[in-house]
Amino acid sequence: MSITYQITFSTRLNTFVSAGILMALSLLFSTNALAKLDIQTWHTSSGSKVMYVYAPELPMVDIEVQFDAGSARDGKLWGVSSLTSGLIGTATNKLTEDQISEKFNTIGVSFGSSSGRDSASISMRSLTRPVILKSALKTFTDVVSHSRFKKSILEREKARLRLGLEQAETKPAALASKAMWKSLYGEHPYAHSPSGTLQSIASLDAAKLAQFYKTYYVAQNAVISIVGNVKLQQAKNIAEQVTQQLAKGHKPKPLSFPKPLTQAKSETIQFDSSQTYYSLSQIGIDRKDKDYLPLFVGNHILGGSGFSALLMQEVREKRGLVYSVYSYFAPMKVPGPFVIGLSTKNSTAKEADKVVKETLASFMKDFSDEKLQEIKDNLIGGFPLRMDNNGKILGYISMIGFYDLPLDYLDTFPDRIEKVTKQDILKAWHRKIHQDKMLTVMVGKPQ
Amino acid sequence: MREMLKKIILVGGLLVSASAWSAVTTFELKNGLKVVVKEDHRAPVVVHQVWYRVGSNYEHNGITGLSHMLEHMMFKGTKAYKDGEFSQRVSKMGGQENAFTSSDYTVYYQMVGKQHLEAVMKLEADRMRNLQLDDKDFQKERDVVTEERRWRTEDNPNSKLSEQFNAMAFVNSPPHHPVVGWMQDIKSWTLPDLEGWYQRWYAPNNATLVVVGDVDPKQVKKWAIKYYGVHNSSKLVPPKPQLEMLQEGERRMVYKGTTKLPSVMMGFHVPTLVTAKTDAERKEAFALSLLSSVLDGDDSARLPKSLVRESKLLAGVSTSYQSTSRLQTLFIFQMTPSKGVTTQQAEKAIWKAIKKLQDQPVSQQELDRVLAQEEAAYVFGQDSIQGQAMILGTLSSTGLPLSTVDNWVKSLRSVTPKDIQAVANKYFNPDKVTVGTLLPNGKQASSKNMAMPSGALR
Repeated sequence: MSITYQITFSTRLNTFVSAGILMALSLLFSTNALAKLDIQTWHTSSGSKVMYVYAPELPMVDIEVQFDAGSARDGKLWGVSSLTSGLIGTATNKLTEDQISEKFNTIGVSFGSSSGRDSASISMRSLTRPVILKSALKTFTDVVSHSRFKKSILEREKARLRLGLEQAETKPAALASKAMWKSLYGEHPYAHSPSGTLQSIASLDAAKLAQFYKTYYVAQNAVISIVGNVKLQQAKNIAEQVTQQLAKGHKPKPLSFPKPLTQAKSETIQFDSSQTYYSLSQIGIDRKDKDYLPLFVGNHILGGSGFSALLMQEVREKRGLVYSVYSYFAPMKVPGPFVIGLSTKNSTAKEADKVVKETLASFMKDFSDEKLQEIKDNLIGGFPLRMDNNGKILGYISMIGFYDLPLDYLDTFPDRIEKVTKQDILKAWHRKIHQDKMLTVMVGKPQ
Repeated sequence: MREMLKKIILVGGLLVSASAWSAVTTFELKNGLKVVVKEDHRAPVVVHQVWYRVGSNYEHNGITGLSHMLEHMMFKGTKAYKDGEFSQRVSKMGGQENAFTSSDYTVYYQMVGKQHLEAVMKLEADRMRNLQLDDKDFQKERDVVTEERRWRTEDNPNSKLSEQFNAMAFVNSPPHHPVVGWMQDIKSWTLPDLEGWYQRWYAPNNATLVVVGDVDPKQVKKWAIKYYGVHNSSKLVPPKPQLEMLQEGERRMVYKGTTKLPSVMMGFHVPTLVTAKTDAERKEAFALSLLSSVLDGDDSARLPKSLVRESKLLAGVSTSYQSTSRLQTLFIFQMTPSKGVTTQQAEKAIWKAIKKLQDQPVSQQELDRVLAQEEAAYVFGQDSIQGQAMILGTLSSTGLPLSTVDNWVKSLRSVTPKDIQAVANKYFNPDKVTVGTLLPNGKQASSKNMAMPSGALR
């Protein structure tokens, strides 16, 4: 809608400080305490997994096709996953870039592709009026199954990416994030930035992108999620249509496990900024980790629940050192990071570091039963909010599909949270978080 | 086939909408509080928002940022609830809550399960009048806001550019200053300033309550009367008009920051739906909105297509126009030149695109594409209750009729290619442009890594 609200605003706590984080968090944990989410799943004839929820209230549908084709699959070609994803929708066997965008845009379809470390996805949102949906699906299927990678378009996008990579070197928050992943993951495929480096993208050509696409954008490696005003039989037809022209292919081998740090490590990057951008991190857990629930509940107490979290109380409310401080686990195919992050003026960087470490230590020693009950109330009471629209439901079912979680994963959540005890939480944190082996990153002129 | 498709889209506006946006219940309490309730029964949740008609555009130099500071202080407690208790209570309900300040309004919101609506109404109504401000909290929160400004603006060259660009484009009207406030002003606020601001603006007759979700409007009305109805209205003294003076001649500035990428902003003063006094002026606002979509509403739009993909002069380009702004606003072009392209060349490329708009009417095909997307957006926008509440609150707070949203596509459809050509000629005038350029200052990060032995961190 072009009636937009003002974009220049200031808020008490900016939620896109950590947009990615919140996304990871909300995908990590949610369910509906009141109504069960009726997820149906099956495989298409070519072997793609389908996740489907019927939502007839609005005359629209969301469709996402997700592949295990994130930058963890780059191999030595850092950036190939991201560029491949970026060029999806710029050419097919039959259509040019302008034709593809015209075909979607003239019928009001939102189309997009995106990628991260674990996965790459292609998605669309369309009205379900038959004449529109039919046309949308035709173009979508063509793009999913018959993408081509044109040299001229790749060169153009590489030129833009080069500017982006150079620019990232001038953003302290981006530098801090890059340094964290690199130092934590070393030689592991998660270590490099999904965008690659100036050097690595130089060697990428259209043939390498096409090869990556051919290997990973295949039916056996795809999960299709559908939410909207389409009935079961129609959803089945859509899933068949979208995948029938994909090569069958196969699932890639599982990723290796990253090795944790063996001792504490500290890294400072001098940068001319007014604030120091700080993180304290460690390799955390994968999506199926048995400790995931107590870690998650504990993280809510520590730094994952906004103003009621201990870190927010200690660093912001008591001392006024920051605007934002947060912590999160990013559970991935193989263990993703556990991160505490903040930014503070240079002159209080070391003080903030000290407060963060003391808060973590104190939390891992003990916390009040009252606090635990508050957090449980928050998580259980908040479940319906996490799935109150089609966009959110799509996010959850594609996560369940992609990470092979049980279908009742969401439905059982409130009960599982209710049962977590303080001892469960403390034990899990001591198993997984080692305060003497953490990475501290500071970018700025910390004092 | 293609013709048929087009026809269906063109007549489709009313066919697609599941329910009209403005199927809302509105009423006003005796104390002047406006209330807007929209039922959405898809999930057992509700969003509850209070919109105060105050923001940075109500401030003058010297006290800039005060509205935003007050927003922060609103969580510090009242006679009935101690510091932090508001957030704690909402958190225990499983609610999500926050607040934000813009140039025209300050908004507080909670999203909760529907069974908690009454409780959040009680809490929010209490702090409308009963806030207790304390100097110690004030001093600490000022530090937080200072950190916010550093993070948001000081370390972000594009924010700095945009701030200084606005300060130049608006000479004598409030959009001159940023929502967060100038650093010097932040340092000189006093507690009495803040108390005065709260007393002046936080009144039922200066607010709109918006409730969207799985609710019964009759019940909402009862609770609104019970909790918000107890407050007396205030005598509101509006700020002086401070109308922006006429721009006579180009204005230009350069900001040098820690960046590798230059960027350019070009802005033109334009009317909005709120500043428009006549139907003709309102039509101009719709024409400008369409114009913005024709230029960069999607990847088929003129600017990304011709300047990013075809000529490759720009690495990125966007336009912005806030049609619902309460005061006169800017139509802005922002661009990042490609490597080897100067900022002057980037500017020229935009002028060329402007000239084309001024010389030739846009094609019906382009307009149809934009309208098809507006039709779809009308439906897509109903997926989020928070999004719906935001639009209703914006309209109410800026004094626009709520039916604006249902009539949106129809209003756009009434704009002709000639109307668009006319606004391009009227407003995109070289003597009325404001240009801000961000250039690299040459500084960059130098890495100094230190490995620390185990245990050294304690």
